[in-house]
Amino acid sequence: MAQTLAVTWMAGLRRYVVYVGFLLVLLFFAIVLHDDGFLTTRNLLNIVQQTAPITVMAIGLVFVLTAGEIDLSIGSIVAVSALLAAVVMREQPAILGVAAGLGAGALIGLLNGALVAYLRLPSFLVTLATLGLFAGVGRTLTNLRSVPVTNDLFNGIFGSGKLFGIPSLVVWTTLAVVVGHFFYRETRFGAHVHATGDNPAAARSSGIKIQRLRLGVLVLSGMCAALAGLLYAGRLQGARYTLGESDLLTVIAAVIVGGTRLNGGLGSVFGALVGSLLMGTLNNGLILMGLSVSEQLIARGLIIVIAVAISLREPER
Amino acid sequence: MYSKQVLTTAIAAALTLSAGAVAQETVGPNGEAATPSTEIALTSAELEQVKGGNHTAALLWHTSSDFTNAVTAGARDEFERLGIEVVAVTDAGFDSARQQTDVETVMARNPSVILSLPLDPVSSAVAFRDAREAGVSLVFLSNVPNGYEQGTDYVTIVTDDLFQMGKQAADALAASLGGKGKVAWIFHDAAYYVTNQRDNAFKTTIEKDYPNIEIVDSQGISDPARAEEIANALLLKTPDLDGVYATWAEPAEGVLAALRASGNDHTKVVTLDLSEPVALDMVKDGNVTAIIADEAYELGRAMATAGAYGLLDKAAPPFVVAPALTVQKANVNEGYQRSLRRDAPDSILKALN
Repeated sequence: MAQTLAVTWMAGLRRYVVYVGFLLVLLFFAIVLHDDGFLTTRNLLNIVQQTAPITVMAIGLVFVLTAGEIDLSIGSIVAVSALLAAVVMREQPAILGVAAGLGAGALIGLLNGALVAYLRLPSFLVTLATLGLFAGVGRTLTNLRSVPVTNDLFNGIFGSGKLFGIPSLVVWTTLAVVVGHFFYRETRFGAHVHATGDNPAAARSSGIKIQRLRLGVLVLSGMCAALAGLLYAGRLQGARYTLGESDLLTVIAAVIVGGTRLNGGLGSVFGALVGSLLMGTLNNGLILMGLSVSEQLIARGLIIVIAVAISLREPER
Repeated sequence: MYSKQVLTTAIAAALTLSAGAVAQETVGPNGEAATPSTEIALTSAELEQVKGGNHTAALLWHTSSDFTNAVTAGARDEFERLGIEVVAVTDAGFDSARQQTDVETVMARNPSVILSLPLDPVSSAVAFRDAREAGVSLVFLSNVPNGYEQGTDYVTIVTDDLFQMGKQAADALAASLGGKGKVAWIFHDAAYYVTNQRDNAFKTTIEKDYPNIEIVDSQGISDPARAEEIANALLLKTPDLDGVYATWAEPAEGVLAALRASGNDHTKVVTLDLSEPVALDMVKDGNVTAIIADEAYELGRAMATAGAYGLLDKAAPPFVVAPALTVQKANVNEGYQRSLRRDAPDSILKALN
């Protein structure tokens, strides 16, 4: 009886670890940094805005991981999409830049998906290869040069602008979470993603076209990464080949801490949002605490290990 | 707009890796003449004035390395002397987006001074906007955001004498080769102002000053872990290679690994920035003939003092350089002292005795 209770309690903790962890981290920084500007609206808003691209990528990855696949190429997609959009917008209106950026993400996702679905290659290897491939494309696209974005409309919508007084990056985050959650939980597509990741054989025999679904989630992930690229380009008012380079591990950490299973079948869009905010808050708070860079890395690593340990530990059978 | 174009052109020129576009001395991004860092100093009255101001500072670095550690140490010591508290130190990992995040984050602590290396002139113009508008005393290392005006938007740019570093590398390698031979040039294949200027200065100097030295191979590198492969390929193509220039110490370590593996004790290596394995090879009479270092500690000191100029509204020269330093076996300990303000590592001191 006591054992059952303990197991139930652990299961509950696992499920909500990211929310509890996030609150604990917030509380900790609020106390330690109470007079160092941490709790100001501006700083908290900064955290949400800074994590917007990570959140958007994390939502795409929730679908991919739930379907039992992985997408390692997102960092390179960010750079290629942002650069392409910036280059197009030198001469063309913002709408074409956005289309070029998102289109590039969709095409790269399509390439990943086709290789996985129709050549039956493991997504880990395919996207590892395209990660390198498109990092190279990003570097050659503008010969390593940064491209400024001077289109105010674009910079407003994707970067520093406001909609009804709400910063546009907050709007994008909210939109991505709401739409992502709806598709993940409330549609047949979402249900099929879960079923495929949980038990591909069973999903296939119940009539789900699992290869097409694998292609679908990788295209979705590519487009999410492309949108993240546009958000970076808007915020920085320019694009550079290094954009997104270091984001992959942060995104994976955010998604896993947020309760999505690495081997498929289970996940959470809200969890990914909170996971992403947790990463952003950690970065922010540890800097404000005045820690040295090495100390920041150690502290962040330890906290992620603890969170992942609690959220991933399978109950003993 | 005009100055923005000039700046973009200047940076682009530095990045195209074309020797012809490179100046013969270190100049600022807008062509400013260089002032030696030793001229950046406060009077005792100014020192007292800064001390009483309850000021704070943040150090927003582009990466973490021995170099940034030494700059940080120089800045911290100087800030302590000036009674300025360091409230945050960050590392953007060469990521412009992260740098913007770092600026926004530390602005919550309202620092009076920010020392930073803007990673990219385009995006850092936006990244530092909040700090600029808040009137923070901004001192930049090596690079400047597009459209920022010296004296109003930032105090000054402080940097290594980048051209001298590359030139001294060329001079040291040429001296060890007796002024003739075949050399390979391993340059940093990335849009990074600092390494680009140093690399090009090496190339220009060899081409201009040493007619009997031929650069037989040029190879770009972006991932230092690949240096060994690159060096192996160079040696395969030119087995009698006399010298190699490696853009900084980490790739030089890969070059040394390749030379050692093939039992090559003929090819001389020159590189930039102090590193224990490279310096050890040098003092053991291995392949390394010289390491060109910068006075990183002095850079940090000069930046911190320049930060105080900003607080006092004292006019600063627009472009400040700290000297370059050729470190060879004979002066290795002195080199560590001048560059990093510490003794050479034990392994090197032992090998010397």
